[in-house]
Amino acid sequence: MTYQVGSRVRVRTGDPDHHTRVPRYVRGHTGEIVAALGRWPVPDDSARGLPPRVETCYAIRFSAADLWGGGDHTVTVDLWESYLDRP
Amino acid sequence: MTGHEDLPAAARARRLEERLIAAGLTSDDEIDDFLTRLYANASPVNGARMAARAWTDPAYRALLLTDGNAAASQFGFTVAPPADGGYQLRVVANTEQVHNVIVCTLCSCYPVSLLGPSPGWYKSFAYRSRTVREPRAVLAEFGVTLPDTTRISVWDSTSEARYLVLPARPAGTGALGEDQLTALVTRNGLIGTALV
Amino acid sequence: MGGQTGFGPVPAGEGGGPPFAADWEARVYALAAVLRRRGLFNDDELRDAIERLPPGEYLAASYYERWLAALETLAAEKGVP
Repeated sequence: MTYQVGSRVRVRTGDPDHHTRVPRYVRGHTGEIVAALGRWPVPDDSARGLPPRVETCYAIRFSAADLWGGGDHTVTVDLWESYLDRP
Repeated sequence: MTGHEDLPAAARARRLEERLIAAGLTSDDEIDDFLTRLYANASPVNGARMAARAWTDPAYRALLLTDGNAAASQFGFTVAPPADGGYQLRVVANTEQVHNVIVCTLCSCYPVSLLGPSPGWYKSFAYRSRTVREPRAVLAEFGVTLPDTTRISVWDSTSEARYLVLPARPAGTGALGEDQLTALVTRNGLIGTALV
Repeated sequence: MGGQTGFGPVPAGEGGGPPFAADWEARVYALAAVLRRRGLFNDDELRDAIERLPPGEYLAASYYERWLAALETLAAEKGVP
């Protein structure tokens, strides 16, 4: 597990031509890790019939102000480690 | 020649079933049995019972919020871990400060074993697209108005985790037994689109 | 499609729509589950097959019509006769 709960991470940009579980609306945005979930096969691999990488999945919280330029809510999204970079 | 795409969906579905049955990959009995079990076992009463227990038993509440799968298994509900084809249950508690709402923007993932099959609105493009962007407006369409001081926390179910809301226990219910409390917890309350 | 605009009000009225609007929808749901259980495909392959529908078809089809189309795709790709 590379990242610590409470730390900030940035979601990688990019628009892969294969299945992925990174919602478009968080790509390139920075959020805070609120929990480390399990270590699970990366869906990008499983969807293509590849032997999957197994990685930690994190629950990451983003502010509406950051995502949409307004709003007072937060959105928490579960993202696999290879979807992330240090900010 | 008419392609099969022109058939009404029901006929297309039956044609596909017949093809798969002929290939030995399933049977009518298997499909029927699956649906019988689904309707018998998967219901929002399951989630409601867990919420009512959490309201009356602090130790259960603590377990529910830290290990949802273990909490579900105490009632005998089927929540296998992701490695066994199930999901990781994560329960998020509503408070005066925070109201939680669950969505799956990518496809409509949903904790079926604890809520039953998902309602049409949960699967709609409108719910999937708008809840992460304007949750207050979406909640208003469900007749839910929250104080400005309450922060809305939206959870997008993008992984093997499935989310359930633990509603806040309504005021004035101190004398009610667990069965009566269970009856207060609605499916929409467990998703976050209703207050209970 | 989080954040995408233009989809209008949530169909929340009248209990908001039954899980299955017709028997065939329930059977498609069951079919996907039993085939996944049998190992013909995994969850990610099913989602991928849904996402690979042409955008026009994706938007015009109902939820379970998308599942049905995806199952047809997977049956073909997995060599079901």
